[in-house]
Amino acid sequence: MSAPETQSWPARLRSAIALPESVGWRDHVIGAGLAAVYVVWLLATARVLGFPRDEGVYFRAGSQYFNWWHALHERGSDVMRRGMIDSAFSDNHEHPPLMKTLFGASAYFFHQKWEIFRDPTTAFRLPAMCTAGLALWTTYLFGARVWSRRAGLVAAFLLGLMPRVFFHAHLACFDVPIMAMWFWCIYVNWRALETGKITWAIAAGVVYGLALATKHNAWFLPVALIPHALFVRRGAMLAALKRFRISLPANLVAMAILGPLVLFASWPYLWNDTRPRLQWWFDFHMHHEYYNIEFLGKNYFDPPSPKSYLPVMVLATVPSITLLLFAVGAYDRAKEAVRRLDAWARSRLRREAYDATVPRATDTRGEPDLLLALSLGMAVAPFFLSHTPIFGGTKHWLPAYPALALFAGRGFDLAATAMRAALPRLSEPRFRAAQVALFASVVAAPLAETAHSHPFGLSAYVPLVGGTAGGADLGLNRQFWGYTTQNAAAEYLNAKAPSGATVFIDDTTWDAWSHMQNEKRVRGDLRATGTPSDAQIALVQHELHMNEVDYTIWIALGTDAPAYIVRQDGVPIVSVYRRP
Amino acid sequence: MSGDEHKSAAAKAWHRYAFAAIPAAGLLELGAHVVQTHSVAPDSDWQAARAFVAAHAAPEDLVAFAPRWADPVGREQFGPSVATLEREARADIERFPRAYEVSIRGAHLADLHDWAREDEQRFGGVTVTTWRNRGWVPVIDDLVSHVDPQHMRVSRVQGDHESDCSFSRLSPASGGLGSGPAMPPDRFACPGGSGVSTSVVADLDYYPHRCIYTPAVGSDASVRLRFLDVPLGHSIQGHHALYVEAERKKQGAPVTITFRIGDTTLGSVVHRDGDGWRPFEFDTSAFAGQRADVVADIASPGGQRRYYCFEAITR
Repeated sequence: MSAPETQSWPARLRSAIALPESVGWRDHVIGAGLAAVYVVWLLATARVLGFPRDEGVYFRAGSQYFNWWHALHERGSDVMRRGMIDSAFSDNHEHPPLMKTLFGASAYFFHQKWEIFRDPTTAFRLPAMCTAGLALWTTYLFGARVWSRRAGLVAAFLLGLMPRVFFHAHLACFDVPIMAMWFWCIYVNWRALETGKITWAIAAGVVYGLALATKHNAWFLPVALIPHALFVRRGAMLAALKRFRISLPANLVAMAILGPLVLFASWPYLWNDTRPRLQWWFDFHMHHEYYNIEFLGKNYFDPPSPKSYLPVMVLATVPSITLLLFAVGAYDRAKEAVRRLDAWARSRLRREAYDATVPRATDTRGEPDLLLALSLGMAVAPFFLSHTPIFGGTKHWLPAYPALALFAGRGFDLAATAMRAALPRLSEPRFRAAQVALFASVVAAPLAETAHSHPFGLSAYVPLVGGTAGGADLGLNRQFWGYTTQNAAAEYLNAKAPSGATVFIDDTTWDAWSHMQNEKRVRGDLRATGTPSDAQIALVQHELHMNEVDYTIWIALGTDAPAYIVRQDGVPIVSVYRRP
Repeated sequence: MSGDEHKSAAAKAWHRYAFAAIPAAGLLELGAHVVQTHSVAPDSDWQAARAFVAAHAAPEDLVAFAPRWADPVGREQFGPSVATLEREARADIERFPRAYEVSIRGAHLADLHDWAREDEQRFGGVTVTTWRNRGWVPVIDDLVSHVDPQHMRVSRVQGDHESDCSFSRLSPASGGLGSGPAMPPDRFACPGGSGVSTSVVADLDYYPHRCIYTPAVGSDASVRLRFLDVPLGHSIQGHHALYVEAERKKQGAPVTITFRIGDTTLGSVVHRDGDGWRPFEFDTSAFAGQRADVVADIASPGGQRRYYCFEAITR
């Protein structure tokens, strides 16, 4: 009788799903599962979130971009004429095309053709949501490969359970996509160096191209990837130099060749006047207009940006337990780096060979600690420069967060290991239960904060600063882009506005209003206006600089008392005025 | 066990169980989140506070809300009869003899720091603190209240030529973000399209101030406001500013306001971009106890977005 036949069915089941020590396809199943659950959560919560200013532009541009590709497929070279290309791709050409094209494709297939989503905007948003899932998947894999599955799992959870990440992951914008692409690029480059396989090197080039085609943050990636690759391959490069040969890391070569090719191939707008158009793209972002942002009660319109902006906003918006675990994990990795540096220095002083037998806490092949530190550092470094615009709030440094979450995962790993050491007599099942409890204790607060923040993710601040009200006390920005008009409609306008009423929509765009009415989020008979004095009802989405609109409404409508206020934890989000 | 050994054992135990700080911190954060999201003052508390304030506050008293972000909630809950424009868009706090500060979360207005605390009433999550202004000096007249055809004349002056601006009832004039202060339906309409009215201007810190909105017309023209039969004291005190978007970039021409009583020029004060809501004062001791017409001329060498607004009182 064979062994499996002697086992009970639970034992057989356990052995069937037991994970081998090495990371492999089963881990991709776990990563994909995490991604799928996150995307489903995002889809389930998408309809209560209105449309920010930028989304309307990307919906429109995305449709135009995709329609061109569709026409290329159907009509061939006819659409390759410059006029056809430029008319399709001129809209919003300050941002590269990848995500917008995917938004348009998703709307075409999942709404228009297959009718999977009733709302076209949900279909537009799907690709960005999928990139959020990709970020969790990649984060899990990286953590599982470098430290443990436990570290990877916790890292993926903590990344997804950041209120700002959750908010931006809903939007057909580029901030979460570039976070995902940035970290995918980091992961693939690390795999290329760790495995030495040419397929991973080629993948590094392709993924870098996709990152370039997503958002200009990708320009900064080489600053992290080049020193890392040179450090990892230093031995081989020096050996080659001694033989008067040049050996470059294959991933860097692939990035240099394939990256621009992928960008160029995905962006027909660059197929004509390539150099001036690239130059314009570069200049646009190097001299970007400064929009305003409130920070500690002051509205910043111009540089210099406060250097405390990023640290304060990270402390105020990332769940504190995540930051605590990050501190534990980062300290551990820094300690390890110092230990290795010390060992190396001593070996050099004694003219000894570096002792490879010294026990190491983790596998250093591919130098993941260094890569994660560089990734995190490069994602945040520009925001310590006084001339970097800060108007986007936290969204512009989202690419730092997968690395931050991974160090937090490492911190959890250490805590779980310490718990095992502290409770040696605990049976294995009880220790598993204790680990589950430990896991629950670190994800419960981020989960509660993230779920509670929706749909007011930009108003959300962590308990460390007093929550939403604490953020308002500190004078931190409450929202931008005028996306909360939909909440005013859901809570007041749809039920109480007079038939055919004119509504001053303040910071909300006409595109956004039109989408909300088309999808029956806002009553169809209401008429938007850009002038308070023409309005029967006036909205003001609360930001510090919107106060001036508030005062305009007082005079134009003849009352300073809102008829209704959309609030989150008692904090005004949108005031609704009604002409007496 | 010696003292050192005892300490060493304690240190080891501490080190051994240090991991417990992680779940403790996580649960502490969760608890704080639950408390914070469930400690919002309900509308019933606001309404109880309103009933108290409405019953006690005199018309000349201030009613103000703290923290600043709670102001819209205060206006919504207290309504325009208590949260009046005069209180909400006050020129300064000093002209009120008493203040009812309606606050949540233990907040207080910094402006009331030097006032005497007279009373404090709690209505659940809402606290009403009554403050007395130690240095209150009564106001004799508020020139902003003169903006109507019975109490004020407006004209546009170009060289020797003075054109009357008629008082009219028009549609309110306003725009969205960046458009400048709104004008109410009742206002003086001047030749060339400019006008004069009461309005509310946002200062550089985005605080509201009720004032006489008098966009400067530029070049060699000025706008003349004649306040009729004003009871005078020892001084005219006021504030002036430009609409925040007009002055924050510090690129516009200065605006000068000159006050006269009869043939006597009281003085001029220049508002330069970046000055914000700036106070001014002119001595009127020579006219104390009298009634007279007060003339204010507003001029600027440039008329581009010179969205000027001022207020003044006699004391």
